[in-house]
Parts: sequence; C-alpha cells; structure tokens
Amino acid sequence: MASPTVVSFLRSVSLFKDLAEPHLVSLAPRLRERKLKKGEVLFREGDPGQEMFLIRSGSIIISKPITGRVEQVLARMGAGEFFGEMSLFDQAPRSATVQADVETALLCLDRDSLQQFVEVSPRAAAAFFGTLVRTFIQRLRASGDLVAEVTRWGLEATGLDVENR
Amino acid sequence: MRSGGTRRTKLELLVRQDGDDGFEVRRVPSALAWLQLRPQRVDPATYEVAQMPSRVDGRVTFVLKSKLTDRYVLLTEPERFLWEQMDGGTSLQEIATAYVLRFGTFDFDLIPALIAKLRQAGLLTLRPSSRLREALARHRRHALLRGLEAIFHGLERVTVSSRRVQPFFARLYRAGGWVLFTPAAVVAGAALTAIGLASGVPLWQNAASVVAPIGRHPLFAIVVVKLGFFLTLAAHQVVHGLALIHYGRRVREFGFTILHGFVPTFYVDVTDIFMASRRARVVTAASGALLHVVLGSVCFAVAVHLSHGLTQAFAAASGLIQLQAFVLSLYPFCFIEMDGYHILVDALGLPTLRHDAVRFVRHNLWRHVADGRVLSRREGIWLGYFALSVVSIGAFIAFNLWTLIHVITG
Repeated sequence: MASPTVVSFLRSVSLFKDLAEPHLVSLAPRLRERKLKKGEVLFREGDPGQEMFLIRSGSIIISKPITGRVEQVLARMGAGEFFGEMSLFDQAPRSATVQADVETALLCLDRDSLQQFVEVSPRAAAAFFGTLVRTFIQRLRASGDLVAEVTRWGLEATGLDVENR
Repeated sequence: MRSGGTRRTKLELLVRQDGDDGFEVRRVPSALAWLQLRPQRVDPATYEVAQMPSRVDGRVTFVLKSKLTDRYVLLTEPERFLWEQMDGGTSLQEIATAYVLRFGTFDFDLIPALIAKLRQAGLLTLRPSSRLREALARHRRHALLRGLEAIFHGLERVTVSSRRVQPFFARLYRAGGWVLFTPAAVVAGAALTAIGLASGVPLWQNAASVVAPIGRHPLFAIVVVKLGFFLTLAAHQVVHGLALIHYGRRVREFGFTILHGFVPTFYVDVTDIFMASRRARVVTAASGALLHVVLGSVCFAVAVHLSHGLTQAFAAASGLIQLQAFVLSLYPFCFIEMDGYHILVDALGLPTLRHDAVRFVRHNLWRHVADGRVLSRREGIWLGYFALSVVSIGAFIAFNLWTLIHVITG
C-alpha cells in the first residue's frame, strides 16, 4: 500500500509531473526512504551506483574532487529535485560525490524497481523519460555555464592576459 | 587587459575535514585569489639584468634577458622595483603596497601588464598561495589542533564592517574632531601626559596596595578593565579615520574583526593616506597610539586623587594597560605590523621589512655566517629588526611576568 504522503510528495516532483495519479500510487511503494545526517556522504565519486535519489526534504551538495581534501561544488539541490540517475542508466561508477548540506530525507529508486515500473506502465514510463531528457538538457546547459564561469574565475584570479598573448 | 577592479567571480569549494564526514564550503572570490598570488621570479641562473642609463633625460632603464627563452624585456625603474619584489613569498597586495610607499602613486594596470610581459618571456611563475591553500597543505593529524584550526577559521570570518563610513567620519571631524589636529591639542596632550606620568610615580611606588582590591575580585576586574580597553581600541581606530579626513583623504572602511582567529579588534582602512605626504602618513599612524598615552595619563591622574579602593585600582590598572598599548602600538620591533612598524618602514623605505627580515634569518643568515661574508646595509637592517624584535618580545613577556609576581606577592 502506497503511503499517501509519499504520493503527495511525488505529485510535487517535476520529474513526475506528467504521470497520472494511479501511476504515482504504483510507483510509491517501489521507493525506499533513506535519511542523511548533516555532512554525511551518500556516495563518493567512483563508487558503484544502482539507484537514483529524490530529495524529499533538506538539501545536498554535489562535488567533484580537485586536490587533497578540496572539491569543487558542482551543484546544490533541494526538495523535489533528483540526482544519481546517470549510474542508473550507464551502470558506470558514480561521477561525483554527494553529501548532505543539512539533515536530509531521500527516496531511492533502484534499477530493478524502475524496470518493473517501465514494464507495468509503459505509457507512464515514456512520460517519465521525456521529462528526464528535458532535465538532462537543462543540466548540460548548466554544466556549460559552470565551465565558462570557472574559466572566467581562472582568468581573473591569475590575471592571464589572453587577449594580447 | 582588464583592470583589477573588475574581478568578481566566485568559486565555491568544498573542503573536507579529516576522518569524518564533516566539510565546509568556502567561496573564494577571484579578486581575493588575485591579491594573494605570489609571483615568483625564475631561478637567478636563468636570467640576466643589464642597466641602460640614458644620457638624454638621465633616466635608467633595465634589460632583462631570459637565458631559457632568449627573450628580452625592457623594464623601467618602477617595473624593476616590482620585479625585485616578486620573490614567490610576497603577495600582489603587499607588492602594490610596497610600490605606493616607494613611488607615492599607483596605476592599477601596471602590475598586471608587467606580469603578462614577464610571463610571455618565461621569466615569472605564479604561485597561488592563499591562506586556504596553506591551511590545506598543513597536516592535521591531531584532532585538537584540527578543532582549533576550525575555530580560528570560523572566528576569522566574524567581521562586521561598512564601506560607507566616509560621511560619518567627515561629520565627526566637523563636529569637533578637527581639534585633535591643532597645536593646542598637542600642547594639551603633552601637559596631560606630564601630569599623568607624574601621578604614575606614587601609584607605582605603592602598586601592591593600589591594585590589591582587584585581587579580591580578579575575574570581574579583568573583564571590566579589558572591556574598557577594548572600547578605547575602537576610539584608536576612529582617531586614525579622523586623521585621514584632516589630510583630505578617504576612509574606505571601518569595522570589527577577529584578527588571526583570536584577537578581537576594530580596524579602519587607511590605504588612501598613501596618496598623501610622508608627514600625513606618520601623523595618521601615530595619532591612534597617542590617544592611549593621553587616556593612560588621565587614568593615572584620576587614580592618584581617588581614595584607596576598587575604583582607584581600576583606574590605575587601566592607566597601565593604556600605556602598554601606547608602547606596543608605536614600538616597531615585535613582528607585528602595527602603527610604529608602518612609521619605521616608511622612514626606511623598506615596505616588506618584516617579511624580508624573517626570510633572511631563516634562509640566508647561516650561509652568510658560514661563508664569513660581511652583511650589506640592507641585510644589517633585516638582522637588526629581527634581533630587536626577539629581544623585545622576550623583555615584554618577562616584564609582564615580573609585574604579575610583584602584584601577587605584594
């Protein structure tokens, strides 16, 4: 039996905005809840990954190791957003490290549960994947912006005169 | 080339703590990284410098040649000065300050342009050496030290400041602050000091009985005396700001911070005084310290007329602390860049004296001694500064210990 609060939360998640109520009800029991304390690392870059995560409450920081104990902050995410979906599809190790910025509650969707959802509700799955692709595109654009921003930081911080080299 | 004033991008970095899941997110503005860069000349064996005096206008230029890239760079006298500062240990902020002290003016595009020129010729490398990087390079094996470092880092960020203080200081100056910079104020200050010091003699002779009441309420007394002193530190900075207004310069910032993570203090940005005369710089630096000698004298003059008790003890202790603050502020030999230090480096024309002196003693002195080489004038000044500072700190600690023992034992 799906928890009404989980279904209500899923309704507010943009990833599921095109899914009808019955599909949300069928998806909800497949999600596993996970809680993180402030500062707790959920996974690190290079870890094996089998699941994606929805942020139910709190916020997380996605970072990538640069040197020693220093990591670059790639993104911050809050309630209603999702992450970790890349490993779900390409089965490659995690591409970044994720840690809780504050006390955070997550809902996990693993590969098997997603597969079952696709088999049982193919039309809902198509809507789900459509939204997922649009989110990927947004994140790809954001990555381009971040690269430009970091390059600008490097130029400003080093005073490198590129124009007149 | 963009000018220094347009740097504003911030990089967000996550710095992980040892052994657990804790972390801290730090935002590093590009402007801060730029100011903390420490340009490093290439190895002396890989370049040559030749002097080219001009018979036309008497000016001297220098030709710098990289033996590795076979490139030549023409340097003016100010550019050569900057080149000499680029030792890998001095930050761009310190280099810019040194330049202003030496030449009295500053062009914001000069240093970036020179750096670009030197880098193109393969004569310079840049070492980003911010506090963050240094802290990261440090070992943090001990939990206690790690905790302390985290506390210091947190406290260092406790800063309350305003950059819109010029109108406040201008109003304060017009409302009476100008009096402090008149000959009458100098005479009155000198008279007060004389009276205060004369009052201090009998107090000192009976020091044990005068401060005895403090011993009955030690914690309360320390808190009250320190709090009073802390407020005078704010007044000290306000006087610096008024001096800037007096010389027609701009007060860029006033605020409160915790210096090095453990010294709560007020501060005022007096950078604009570099654009004024040396006299203005000396008066600005000395004015804050002189406030302490006047306040200390007033405290002594009051204390000597009070009857024996806690109030007299407070006044006497406050007077002593104010006089110590005066000496500490104006005494340049203590490895701390306070007012007296700035006056000294201004007079010597050696703006990076402390840094150079410490580096010389740490890295070059023993080689000089081993080789039996005679010190140059500049090296002699560095060694003198270092030695005087070590002796002074030792004497300061000894004096305070002696005073404490003297008071406790009666």
